[in-house]
Amino acid sequence: MSDDLIPVSVLTGFLGSGKTTMLRHLLGQPEFSRTAVIINEFGEIGLDHELIEASEDSLIELQTGCLCCKIRTDLAQTLQDLLQRRDDGRCMPFDRIVIETSGLADPAPILQTLMTDANIAGRLVLGGVVTTVDAVNGVSTIVREGVSQKQIAVADRIILTKLDLAGSAKPALLRRLKEFNAGAPVLVADHGRIDPLIVFNAGLYDPQTKSTDVISWLAEETHGHARHDADIKTYAIVREESIRAATLTLFLEALAEHCGADLLRLKGIVNIVESPDRPTVIHGVQHVFHAPAWLDRWPSDDRSSRIVFITRRIPQRWVEVLLEAIAAEVADVSDGHSSKTHPVRN
Amino acid sequence: MSGVPGDLTCELLAQSLAAWRVAGRVECASDGALVIGESRKDIRIDPAPTHLMFRWMVTVDGRKRGAVSLVGVLRQVREVLDPGYTANRVRVTVAPLVPSQ
Repeated sequence: MSDDLIPVSVLTGFLGSGKTTMLRHLLGQPEFSRTAVIINEFGEIGLDHELIEASEDSLIELQTGCLCCKIRTDLAQTLQDLLQRRDDGRCMPFDRIVIETSGLADPAPILQTLMTDANIAGRLVLGGVVTTVDAVNGVSTIVREGVSQKQIAVADRIILTKLDLAGSAKPALLRRLKEFNAGAPVLVADHGRIDPLIVFNAGLYDPQTKSTDVISWLAEETHGHARHDADIKTYAIVREESIRAATLTLFLEALAEHCGADLLRLKGIVNIVESPDRPTVIHGVQHVFHAPAWLDRWPSDDRSSRIVFITRRIPQRWVEVLLEAIAAEVADVSDGHSSKTHPVRN
Repeated sequence: MSGVPGDLTCELLAQSLAAWRVAGRVECASDGALVIGESRKDIRIDPAPTHLMFRWMVTVDGRKRGAVSLVGVLRQVREVLDPGYTANRVRVTVAPLVPSQ
């Protein structure tokens, strides 16, 4: 792993929700002076890049289609090229990358690209997902557009825009945001102006301080806010008993296998039986998972396992029972009560 | 015996059918088996005999298949009841979540 890890943040939000306005403001801040920007525009004539004032050699426009469905390999290649240019001194030595998605993009496949491409894996670290929401049209957009729901659901930060036009954050909109993502802090951008560090320091790992902030990253919300008829729900499973490593492996495997694209995102900290003093941190997007990361120590006195699920049409009770049943089966084998072999894939 | 309480296994199967949105009703038989009825096919799930390497036996249309774990049972049940189902295999990223300590 290189010491020179560069965080990649994903800026998403539905069409007209103010992504470019906010990005233009952020790039004017000293904290963002060493930022490379990749803009994905969807349409025959790209305009957003004309609105961004950034060093030309660190601004890349991807105009061949929507990032989420057509040009994932283009994104990986673009990132690789960008890193090469940085290494060769052909562009400024940026220390952060922001990808502004098109308004129609599903952010999950973009996250998967960042997580799985071997050529960029050792150089980049996943930063936060930031989603802008238009305070004027937000509710109707959320109701109408499934992709907007997903953009909100996977966010680490939600930024309300156009409050000057809306008057104030309408309770109905805030309720909707809570329904789809109860954990992410909701911040406000005033004509694009917002504290850049609050917005983009939302990932698990901070390359600057070389430290992790699990508690902030989890932003867990254990009290359900989802409407019963909502397809997309956020919930957390909290377990006081530690979990065997084999249980966690089988559990994640079953989730990936049966949920697929409906498991929008999963993140958690887990107390593993075999490693009581060093918790493991897990993160997955759909069926793609990071290998568990082992922390040096617990971030607080709370040693319970906490896993946050952002799902579409996956009942919480099924997830709870699945974990409970797998844990019982693995415990039976591990404790020697069974003459059978370990439960493994079949 | 499987080592997993019967009512827990029963609830797991019932919840799984609901999660997959497939028809079916799960019942615990008096002999300890789990039976899925009112579905596309009738399925019976028994703890495997102790001399076999499997933990479970899944019977569909008289054909028995072994499963070494509940995860395997779920996979077999879903393949039978959900014709459009294609399992997603876990893909583990090449990049770690955080740099190694």
